[in-house]
Amino acid sequence: MTPPVKIGMISMAHGHAHAYMEALLAMPQADIAGIAHPSRDEVADVLARTGIPYYADYRELLQTDIDAVVICSENALHARHTIDAAMAGKHILCEKPLGIEVGEMTRMIDACREGGVQLMTAFPCRYLTAAEEARQAILRGEIGEILAFKGTNRGTFPGSWFADSARSGGGALLDHSVHVLDLLHWMMPGAAVREVYAYAANRFQPEHEIDDAGMLHVTFDNGACGVIDTSWSRPRTFPTWGDVTLEIVGSAGVLSLDAFAQHNEVYSDAAGKGAYAYWGDGMDELMVRAFVDAVRSGRPVPITGADGLHAARAALAGYDSVRSGQPVRLA
Amino acid sequence: MKIAIVGCGGMGHIHAAAYARMTHVRIVGVCDVDPIRAAELGERIGAPSYTDYGQLLAAEAPELVSLTVPSHLHLAYIEQTAAHGAHIVCEKPLALTVADAEAALAVCAKHGVRLFVGHVVRFFPDYAGLKHAVDGGRIGTPGVAHLRRVGGYPERQWFAEEAKSGGVITDLMIHDIDYARWTLGPVRSVYCLRRTAAGLDYALATLVFASGAVANLESHWGYPGSFRTAAEFAGDGGVVRLDSAASAALHMRKTPPKRTDACARTGEGPAPAAADAAPAPAAAEIPRSPLRKSPYARELEHFVDCLRLGGAPLVTATDALQALRVAEAAHQSARTGRAVYLSSEEGERL
Repeated sequence: MTPPVKIGMISMAHGHAHAYMEALLAMPQADIAGIAHPSRDEVADVLARTGIPYYADYRELLQTDIDAVVICSENALHARHTIDAAMAGKHILCEKPLGIEVGEMTRMIDACREGGVQLMTAFPCRYLTAAEEARQAILRGEIGEILAFKGTNRGTFPGSWFADSARSGGGALLDHSVHVLDLLHWMMPGAAVREVYAYAANRFQPEHEIDDAGMLHVTFDNGACGVIDTSWSRPRTFPTWGDVTLEIVGSAGVLSLDAFAQHNEVYSDAAGKGAYAYWGDGMDELMVRAFVDAVRSGRPVPITGADGLHAARAALAGYDSVRSGQPVRLA
Repeated sequence: MKIAIVGCGGMGHIHAAAYARMTHVRIVGVCDVDPIRAAELGERIGAPSYTDYGQLLAAEAPELVSLTVPSHLHLAYIEQTAAHGAHIVCEKPLALTVADAEAALAVCAKHGVRLFVGHVVRFFPDYAGLKHAVDGGRIGTPGVAHLRRVGGYPERQWFAEEAKSGGVITDLMIHDIDYARWTLGPVRSVYCLRRTAAGLDYALATLVFASGAVANLESHWGYPGSFRTAAEFAGDGGVVRLDSAASAALHMRKTPPKRTDACARTGEGPAPAAADAAPAPAAAEIPRSPLRKSPYARELEHFVDCLRLGGAPLVTATDALQALRVAEAAHQSARTGRAVYLSSEEGERL
């Protein structure tokens, strides 16, 4: 048997870090060798519960014999953390968006190639079982040629550093467009985004300056075009955190994906509101396992840095469109 | 009040049925260029039928005329009706172009007749209720809205001709354009993507409002499912949404006539052997959202009341004209690939 993959967590700043960590802890094929996070207090509970060694400086963690890292730092730090990890010879699973600028994402991809390590972008939505079935149906040609689409990835306001564009690189338009963009990219192999038109504004959290309302129109070079609502628009009283939906109009049919429709409805006086209890397959576990399997076997990671760049580039071009008020063509 | 109905297709029947149940009105004649269609509706409601509108106007002297003819004919019939001095209920869209809509308003003003336009969505209780919630501050300040209207491709041939119907934007999305303007105010810009194919007309339009709010409107002819509408408005204090599929209070699901493999269909037994797996007729499923008074009846009753009692209608001819400005901008955007900006009054392009 191959020994477990030794993994370091670089930053727990993004909430998804906790889901990935739990998935890794549950996997015999992986060991978490350390957690690097600038503030020990912020991860004290996790350290106490898991006994995982703590590193104040991620560079010390990179000097150990770990095989791979999971990077869940603030978006603006992804590039530095990824490039340093690549130079240290560690494989990388990086939280989305891959970066906040096209040039730095290219440097991240180059650094990983030069370092001989794999770079995977964390797009867990590819591991939604319904999304996988949708993709298979599309690839079998069941709805014909893809003509148009409408998607949503709405959520609740994440607060914290997400509201600080210096650390996040952007608000809802960046944070919540890349998942659906990647699903589309994945479902239409070979197609690339040709043009975007976007709306972004602050409509829900007036005490913050970040864009929390977003509408991103996308046209692919195969002609398929559509729109994604990226808004952090779910109120506190909403029964769930948000959604991922995608309706695809084909020449021979329509396919509607509602990723978290597999839920029970729970009405609890104690909670003060109704809530959805999701019971579908866990996408985070499946994605983390795919990363670990790729590192163990030496096979290519299923979602690449180029995939991350493709999605983030379209989202970032959306901000150019917001500034100009007109569609923007991607180079 | 003496009523005439011009155009005895689907909408003509809906108007006739609504007037027939109303007090204060009497249908004095129906008209269609197709004598069979005219006679059919005339017999159904017990009114004389005509194939020549001029003859109907001269013989029956209607006070109010419902125009339920194909959209490209609206202006000509409005002109003829206004010259006769009768008030008008015109089905939406008021016209296919802003210029024709302006001409329609002008000719009605010139002859001193009132022009009502059938933007019936304002009379749907779910949509009216949603606006009431927004106006009442239930969701705080509105930020992001979605309006959806999807259904089969229209069966009547003239809908497929862009020059007659205006396509999915001018014929179908116009409902949600009017509703969005009613709820969120004047539109500042329009960006629209449209895909068409045989039996399919699909459009997505993002409207940015003078308030700074945004709405995305989705309209689909050729949707392979039941006709369905939905709306969602999210604000900084909440979300309100409606979905016709979720509020269908009545479903009739008829057992297919031949059903030899019942246990396989319940999912409990083994799959039928290939030999007896002859395709069973698909079960028909018809969702219904019944109301004592249909939205069309509410609308027409309101228009009749506006004439009888005076007063401004819930939706004005100017509203219909403004909706067409937005529709025209959507067409222009879909054609050019550019966002189209309207002045704050939506009066003219910048």
